[in-house]
Parts: sequence; C-alpha cells; structure tokens
Amino acid sequence: MKTRALAAAGVAVALLAAACGGGGDSGGQAVAPPAEASGNIVLSGWGSSPAETALLKQVVADFEQKYPKVKVNYQPVSGDYPTAMLAKFSARKPPDVFYLDPNFAQDWIKQQLLEPLDGYIAKTSFDTSKFVPQLVDEFKGQKDGKTYGLPKDWSPLAMFTNTALLGQAGVSPPKTWDELTAAARKIQVPGGKPICLSPDWARALAFVYQNGGSYFNDDKTQVTLDSAATKEALSWYVGLVRDGLAATPDKLGSGWCGEALGKGKAAIVFEGNWLVPAMHDQYPNVKYEIQPLVAGKQPANLAFTNAYGMAADSKNKSAAWALIQYLNGPDGMKVWTSKGLALPSRTDVAPQPGLEVFADQADDSRPWQFPAGFSSVLTVMGNEITSAMQGKQSVDDLVAKVSTAATQALAKSR
Amino acid sequence: MTILSGPVRVGTPARQRVGRVGLYLALAAVAALFFVPFLWSLITSVKTLPDSVRFSLWPQHPTLAGYRDALTTFNFGRYALNSAIVATVITACNVVLAGLGGYAFARLRFPGRDALFLLVLASLMIPDQLRLVPVYQMVSSLGLVSTFQGYILIKLIEATNLFFMRQYFLSLPRDLEEAAKLDNAGYFKTFWRVMLPLAGPAIASVVILEFQGIWNEFFWPLLILQDQSKWTLPIGIAQFSFAYQTNWPPLMAASVIAILPVLLLFVLLQRYFVAGATTAAVKA
Amino acid sequence: MPRARAGWSQRRKEALVGYAFVLVPMSVFAAFYLFPMLYAAYISVFDWGVRGKIEYLGLANYRELLDDGLFWRAVRNTLQYTAEVVVLQTPLGLALALIVNGKIRARTFFRAAFYFPSIASSAAITAIFIFILSSDGLVNRVLGWFGLPADTSWFGDDRFALHAIVGLNAWTTSGTIMLFYLAALQSIPTDVYEAAAIDRASRWRTFWKVTMPLLKPAHFFVLAVTIIGALKVFDQAYIVSRGEGGPNYSTLTIVLELFRAAINDLRFGYAAAMGVVLFAFLFTVTLLQRRLFGNSEAS
Repeated sequence: MKTRALAAAGVAVALLAAACGGGGDSGGQAVAPPAEASGNIVLSGWGSSPAETALLKQVVADFEQKYPKVKVNYQPVSGDYPTAMLAKFSARKPPDVFYLDPNFAQDWIKQQLLEPLDGYIAKTSFDTSKFVPQLVDEFKGQKDGKTYGLPKDWSPLAMFTNTALLGQAGVSPPKTWDELTAAARKIQVPGGKPICLSPDWARALAFVYQNGGSYFNDDKTQVTLDSAATKEALSWYVGLVRDGLAATPDKLGSGWCGEALGKGKAAIVFEGNWLVPAMHDQYPNVKYEIQPLVAGKQPANLAFTNAYGMAADSKNKSAAWALIQYLNGPDGMKVWTSKGLALPSRTDVAPQPGLEVFADQADDSRPWQFPAGFSSVLTVMGNEITSAMQGKQSVDDLVAKVSTAATQALAKSR
Repeated sequence: MTILSGPVRVGTPARQRVGRVGLYLALAAVAALFFVPFLWSLITSVKTLPDSVRFSLWPQHPTLAGYRDALTTFNFGRYALNSAIVATVITACNVVLAGLGGYAFARLRFPGRDALFLLVLASLMIPDQLRLVPVYQMVSSLGLVSTFQGYILIKLIEATNLFFMRQYFLSLPRDLEEAAKLDNAGYFKTFWRVMLPLAGPAIASVVILEFQGIWNEFFWPLLILQDQSKWTLPIGIAQFSFAYQTNWPPLMAASVIAILPVLLLFVLLQRYFVAGATTAAVKA
Repeated sequence: MPRARAGWSQRRKEALVGYAFVLVPMSVFAAFYLFPMLYAAYISVFDWGVRGKIEYLGLANYRELLDDGLFWRAVRNTLQYTAEVVVLQTPLGLALALIVNGKIRARTFFRAAFYFPSIASSAAITAIFIFILSSDGLVNRVLGWFGLPADTSWFGDDRFALHAIVGLNAWTTSGTIMLFYLAALQSIPTDVYEAAAIDRASRWRTFWKVTMPLLKPAHFFVLAVTIIGALKVFDQAYIVSRGEGGPNYSTLTIVLELFRAAINDLRFGYAAAMGVVLFAFLFTVTLLQRRLFGNSEAS
C-alpha cells in the first residue's frame, strides 16, 4: 500500500515539476500526457447541419476508443450559443472544450475565460506548424500573444454559379471584376437577378482587400478604412445593385444568398464551403459549379474559421487537452472533414476532392475578425452597408460612418 | 345579437338574420386569418425538405416523413414528458400561490401591502436578459443546474398571474365576503369556500396561460436544463434548426403535435368562461 | 373581551394571514427579481466583466449612455413600437372577448381560433411570418392578385420592418388579451345588465357606461402588463434582424442593445446601467397608470 502511494506521489511530483518547469501557463495544473488523461469532460458547440453533428459524434467516439479512460459528454447548444456559454462562465462551471468563434474569442480572452494552450502544446510536442498560420493567429490573445484556440476547420469565399443559367446566356464563369459585370449583363434570371450580393462586410471586405484597401494597420492600432481604394471597391459592389445586375437576398425572397441560388433567383453568389451541404439537403436539383472568387487588382479573400478552446475554469484540463489535440490533430480532422462539409485547417490533411478551389485560397485569405469590444461597430457596419445598397446613402458616407465608429471603439478598448 | 352581453333588441326577423349572417362571415374571416399561419405549418409538415423551402400551397409529394422524423430523430417522448412534468407542477404552484397572494392583496389589510404590491409590479419590469447572470449564478450555487427543481424554483410564481388574480378579486362584489364574515368564517375558509369558487374564470385563465407559457418556453429551460435527458419540447424542436438550414418538415410537424395538448386544455377549460357562472355561484 | 381589543387582535390576525398568504410569492420575487435588480444597480457603477469587478466608474456608464446614439435610437424605436402595438392589440383583444362572450354559435370554436396564435411557440410563429412576409411570400402574392405592388421586402425595408413586428406581436398577443378580458367579463353579474335593460339603456350605452367601468381592474392589468411587455420587446427584433437591429436601425430595441452589451461585449456594468434606466422608466409609467386607473373595485 505504502509503496504504491509513494510511487503515485512520486509520479505526481515529477509531473508537477515538469509542469512548473515548462510553460508556466498551464495554470499550475500537472499536464498529463494525453495517454494518461482520464475522467469526464464536457464538449460543447453549435450544430451547423445534421450531418455535421453526426460526424462530430463519430470523431468523439473514435477519440474515446483511443483514450478509453476519458469520457466525453457532448452537450451542444441549440439557440443562442454565446448567452448559454456566458451564463456558464459566470457560474464558473463551463464546458471543458467548446467552439470558439473568432468574433467573440478576443472578448473571451480579454476576460480571462480561456486557458492558454502554449504550455500544453509544448509539453506534448503538438505540431502547430501544419495549421494555416493566419488561422492560428486569430486565436492568439491580442495583448499577450498566447494561443487560446486551435482552428478546427475553415472556409474562404468562392463563387457559386448556376450551370443552367450561365449556359443559357452563353457565358463562362467570370474571373475578374470586369468580367463579372459583363457576364451579369448577359445573364437572364426570371423573377430574380444575375447576382445576389449580401449587404454584409463579410463579403464586401474581400473586394475591398482585392482593390488594395484595408481596414486596420498592421498592429491594429489605427483604422485605415477611409481610402480611395476602399471607396472604389464599395462603389463597384454597391453599383452592381444600383445598375440592376445584383440584388440583396431579401429582395430575392431569401434570407441569404445561398437560398437565392437554391431557389433559382440568382445565378452567381459568393459564399463559403458551408453552402455545399445546404444546397445538397435543400435544393438537390440545382446544378451549380464552384469557381474561385473573382479577382481584383490583387488576390485577396476572407477566411472564416472556428476553433476549439479550453475553459480556464475547466476541472480536468489534461483530459480537455487530450480531446483538443485529437480533434485538431491529423486523425481527428481527417474524419471531421471526410464528408466535405468542412475544410481542414491543417495542410497535412487533404481536402475532399472538388474542394481544392477553397483550399487554394489559403495563402491569400485574411481573417474575418475584429478586436475585442467591436460588437457595436458590427451593428453599425451591417446597418450602414444595407442603407448604401438600398441606395439610401452614398458610399462616402458609409465609409465615413463605419470609420468613425471603428475608431471610437478602438480608442475605448485601449 | 347579444354581442355586448346585453338583452336582445327586437328587430324585424329578416334584418336580424342578415345581420347574423354578416357577423358570422366576419368572424369566420377573422378566424381564418388567425388560422392561416398555423395552416401553413400544417402544410409544411407534410412536405419534403426541398419542397418546404419554396412557396407552394400544396405539397408536391405529400409525405408523413416529417412526423416520423420529428418523433424519432430525438427523444420526442422523453422531451414531451419533461415538458408535461414541469408545466403541470409549475402551473399548479402558480394557481395556488397566485390565488392566495392575489386574494391577500385584494381583500386583506396588512401593513406595507401597497409597497409589497409594487414589488410584484416591479418584478414585471425586469427583462430576463438582465436577470440572466445573477439568477443563473444562484441556481448554480444551489446545485440545481440541470434539475427540474431548479427550473421550477425560479418559476414558482409569476408576477403576471398574481397581478391578474388580484385584479379579478378586486372586481368581485364585496357582499359575499361580508356574508361569510357574518358567519364568522376564518380567512382561509372564506377564501376556500367563497372566493375560490367565484374565481373560476380567473383560475382557468391562469391555468391556460401558465401551462402554455411553460410548455413553449425556450430561454430558461435552455439555460437551466442542460442535460439532454431533461430537455423540454421547445429545446428539442430547436434541434431542427441549424446555422445554414432549417429542417422545416419535422420542425413544423413537432410544432403541430406540441400545440395539441395546450389546445385541448383550452377547450376543456372553456366551461369556466360562461356568463352567469359567477352569478349562479353567488346565488348558491 | 373589550370591543377595542377585539378589533385590534382581529386586525392583527388579518395582517398575519395576509403575510402568510403572500410569504412564498414575495420570497420568490425578492430572490429572483428584486435581488437581481439591486445587483444590476450595484454593478452599473462599475466596469463589470464576467469575472466580476474590473474598476469603479462612478456614473461613467450613465454618462456614456447619454451619448450612446444606438441606445437612444433603440429608445425611440421601442417607444414607437409600444404605442403602436398597445393601441392595436388592446381594442382588438377586448372586441374579440366581447364577441365570444355573447351568445353566438360555435363559441368555443371561435375562442380557440382567436387564441390560436398565442398557443404556438413564438419561434415557430416568427419563422412563419418571415416566410409569409418575404418578398415572394404569401402576403405579396395576395397583394399581387389585387394589383397592388407585390415585391416589398417587409422585414428588409426600414419603413415597414418595425410595423411588421408590431403586426406580428399584436396578432399573437390579442388572443391572450381576449382571454384576460373574457375572464374579467365573467365577474360582471348578469343582474347588472338586467338593471340596465330595465332602464331601457341601448347596447352601446350599456357598454360604455356599465361594462367598461366595471372592467377597470382588467384595464389596469391589461395595459400595465402589455405596455411593460412591449417595452421589453426582444425576441422578434433579434430573429428578424439577426441581432443587428436593422434595416437602418429600425428594429433596434432597448433590450436588444442591453443584450448586445452584456453578451457580445461582456460589459455587464454598462448593460446593467441600461437595465436601470429601462426599469426606472417602466416604474414611472406604471405608477402613472395606477393613478389613472387606481385601485378600483366593483361597486
């Protein structure tokens, strides 16, 4: 008895020494290598589609087979994810591992709700070099540069075209802005418009970047949105609607452009990989092609991603890390992306055939992410661009208002 | 036509009949208008998914797959049972506490009564989103997260119901109580034997409204009943909504099924909303 | 026992019974409503995050609120919404109650039909409405049959979005109001109407001079509850505008802004300041209503 207790104590001390000797970010908890991890942990997130939820359950089952001492309780949140998570954070009983959206990740990091992962990465020699670098950067704390999440998948924007409608107009998929405008002039869409454009900076910004514009300077201390390049890009974007070549989804009887494509109300839309399962399930009879996003003066695209994060208040960080490194490792990610519903964020996991058009954009994709405290700016951005696209205000005013709101928010969060 | 609960005016029979027909037509039109969205969900529930996302007045290939999916994809029976349990318990608690409390505020005198009633009113004014964090922290520190007790505890009595019962008791004529007092009945006896029977319509209203409210509630059950085995119907139904698509047929099918118990309750309790019930009880 | 002492002990007994009857409700309200409100008032003078106190700010949150353009737009929208929805749904609910209270055939059927919108879950109803009011939805198709413009995106146009939400909520709430008034109408004894008939009062006069005043306790209740509910509007605005309060800020509501400050920005102190301002306003409005309708009792 006594020898076993001593041995256990010895192991514990050794682990503790190792933990303290290494990255002090592990919060003083001993970092057991994944093989030693045990106990119950809670995994949470939201569901993008039924097939995806089923796939996640499979990955978790694979994980539990490999690490039989860990039991994962998958508790998805249907409905308002941030609200449910906030309640649990405030009661200090959050799930151990959960989804992180880049647009609230920085706020959560700032409020110390997340556990820094650098220590675990170092201790278990987890190779983060294989991830698309700008995706990992999104989940590093803006102030302290520590890693708080690892991207689980991603998608840039691509151009989805309705094969039949383009064929009828005798138009081949456009490659540049001018070709897009020319193609739209020829395409006929009964009861709709050639292009569906979302009144959303999460689309327009890609074109701003392509035209050489920018939102922030490199260290995000200044708002650089107000420039001729930005205004030119937005004028082109808004102009497509004004000239009758494009319409916003609500004018096409749709909640988003994906729906417009599915209903045959638009021939060209700009969406990400998430449109693929939606089309498959809801509009199986529509034939479409996925093309690279039309290019402007320079190649640019937006990267949309989510990560797995660990709660700072997790009671079983070793097991939580074991799950994260599996989900984000090559084996877990391979299964997760095997149906083509998601794109791997690791370069050592190949995307499903047919999705190269997305994966190829990795180098040119810039994160769709804003600093902490920007939610009011996002409200302003959404409302103002909608107004501009409804012809209710000029692009100059749009850019001015958004710039002002962003500058104020940046000053406040300092 | 006794629309205004008054005595019937005698007019020429023909004029009366035309008036009546007109009234019923108008009522039917309004009823149809109120019914249309529900009809829409009924039609959608027998469509296929691709069919449900486009506009059509009739399903292309009517199918009961939506109902099958609704009942089998998740543990519908379990969620319905959970909903039934919490709704029944909470409704019962609310009826008792609102009845006693409403009566006390309407008819009993105690120091600080008006101030306490302001507390009741004030409770109505606090949005759930503001109460969210402190209430959740309290439930959590009591160890009641993921338990029915935790959810029931915060819903034990709702200000609306108490307020409503008070107003109702205020509107009852005083002579009945006076009669009971002369008989030297105690306060509880007066309440039980005299006031409660008279409050039939009010209690029926509270039962319908509270049951329906809990049966359809999403916000607090989502936060408190985290365990999938404790989920209520609305949470289950929300499983059919995803970020980029909604599985309309089973969602609508489940919604249609979910409406039935509340509708049944409503119809069964209508006998309390009969004019003259009060008068009859008084005369008894 | 001397009469005076009997009176006093009787009053004490009454008071004790009164307290006993309201004990449990008051405890629940104190714990789950009053305490959170006091907590909110407390944290509103701090920069308060998820982990608790960050910094004492004094009245800085309130001063920031005064300058917050989004907040005041939300206040304007919410007041407009409240006025419209209450004016629309209250007479409608009362009218429906009066009709289904009378001797009409298939009374239960009509009552169920009018109450129907209130039974269905608000998420399902909002989804249905978005579908019906989309630019190629049912409403526009019907308008097209009558030769009217049939391509308005009702929730996407800042001239109509808020009114569409008014319509949606009035439709779902009028059934509940009908139920409240229906119950209240039962408490009016039929001899009151008989007396009015004997006085040869017309139906209209009976309604205005007899029924309406007797419904005063119900009026106070309905107006207080619906006005408070309307000023707290959140769900539909959130779903319809995807949390943005658009188009063109037209569906921004007070609670939507509060929600954003708390959940997205994690600024609990600032959100609490909004809550305090909203509460103060609601409290004042309700007190004013109380003055108008008083603690009326049936005579």
